[in-house]
Amino acid sequence: MSETVTVTIEMEQAWRYASGTAMERFSEGLKERRIEAVSCRLCGRAYLPPRPYCGKCNIRMSSWTPVKDEGELVAWTVMQLPMLDGRTGEMREAPYGMGLILLDGADTTLNHYLAESDPAKLAIGQRVRAVWCNERRGAMDDILHFEVIR
Amino acid sequence: MNRAAIIGTGQTRHARRRDDLSQPELVREACTAALADAGIGQKDIDAVVIANMELFEGRALPELWVGEGAFATGKPCMKIATGGTSGTSGCIAGFHQVASGLFDIVLVVGFEKHSEGHTQTGMALTDPFWDRTVASGALGNFALSISQYMVDRGVTEEQAAKVAVKARRNAARNPYAHLQMPDITEQEVLDSKMLAHPVRMLDMCPQSDGACAIVIAAESKAKKYCDQPAWIRATATRHQQPYIGDIDHRLTSMETLRSAARSVYAAAGIRDPLKELDVAEIYEPVSYAELAWYEALGFCEDGEAGRLIEDGVTEMDGELPVNPSGGVLSTNPVGASGVIRVAEAASQIMGRAGEHQVQGAKTALATGYGVYAWADAMILGTAP
Repeated sequence: MSETVTVTIEMEQAWRYASGTAMERFSEGLKERRIEAVSCRLCGRAYLPPRPYCGKCNIRMSSWTPVKDEGELVAWTVMQLPMLDGRTGEMREAPYGMGLILLDGADTTLNHYLAESDPAKLAIGQRVRAVWCNERRGAMDDILHFEVIR
Repeated sequence: MNRAAIIGTGQTRHARRRDDLSQPELVREACTAALADAGIGQKDIDAVVIANMELFEGRALPELWVGEGAFATGKPCMKIATGGTSGTSGCIAGFHQVASGLFDIVLVVGFEKHSEGHTQTGMALTDPFWDRTVASGALGNFALSISQYMVDRGVTEEQAAKVAVKARRNAARNPYAHLQMPDITEQEVLDSKMLAHPVRMLDMCPQSDGACAIVIAAESKAKKYCDQPAWIRATATRHQQPYIGDIDHRLTSMETLRSAARSVYAAAGIRDPLKELDVAEIYEPVSYAELAWYEALGFCEDGEAGRLIEDGVTEMDGELPVNPSGGVLSTNPVGASGVIRVAEAASQIMGRAGEHQVQGAKTALATGYGVYAWADAMILGTAP
């Protein structure tokens, strides 16, 4: 059996992505705690995240629908393993709650963190609302997490 | 469309680390075994398809670095990288090449060496604007969908544990399988570490190093080289909209797998899959997914998957053995895993599956699953 030769590479690398017009408007809205979905004029589906095309109807979308920053928890888990934050490269310490949230006014769900990390206190169908950061830069982590409305 | 068949398969021993072999050596081990099984030489290969998720190893252009290992130098060679479906889609691409009449013999090889890279980093490189902040890997995404599936269908942790046990007991009869846990019990699964509610350590697949290859041949060559080729009777691939939040009740609905299954069953004239299939090798990265796939694949009515596993219908001695190899739950080198499903299904048809052979298997199903919901399906048979 050959010995393992280890090559260690450490680097810091920045990427630039063009958002497209739909995500640009959405990001600007987040700074003012405003959430908007883009909806398809054929099937009527209100999409988050906003995007240029409806994949079901294959047409360009351009009409906007206001979405509340609260909604229904439709799926949840509590992560018990630290996971990599793909934006910062840092590990997020466990336990932490995650959910799929159907915001009022949207037809797709939002995957985000939950303030609650006790599995006994989470259930599908609970109402949740966004907890916003004071400093907002127009990105999804302008929402810190969602808290259960008790 | 010309007829095509699988005439040989080969795989490496799969393990957490294969430090004894480099990537091209790992690929060569599987390819050499497949050529030997098919009874052909490297000169007989007309084209090569490579399946691999290079983000996991952090090494770009795997078709360049492992091409020599796959006998691809001087030949047409392409790479398929579609998450978990890489391997099955690679096999379907190879089938298209032969069925088109352009090539007589195509070698398909899938590989992954998870130990050499950082799979979580690869999984975290999702959409930078939307979900990269909240990336939680395959584990978190599955756990979310499973929470819905359990409520929708009334599936229990105990039923999922039975799937986890079946896989590892089957793997004990497969010398290539990564996890070897012949004495595993349901209680051990239920007592294993909680990773993401309700998914426990033994509900999940491992990360494996390994490779698997198949040889696909046109009718004339298949009959020349093989007494009992595994004829490819139907294939289907389905993709979905991009975000997990786009797919309503993902595991419960599993539209892509339902659609792919309906397509291959119709093409192969299969009306009752539970009765007409003799064996299935399905891509189940987590125990609960196998239950959801039973319903999507029409092995039972919606809501009956828990009963199917409790009644032993999918055990080795049941009406439809599912994953005699031990499945993805026992072995998961991602780029290879789909090829393993097809290779294992083909080996069953060819009567070469050794200790985990399903006696008299004439019709087999292989499936792939990738990213949030992509699906592949393939029907193999003893006759074209």
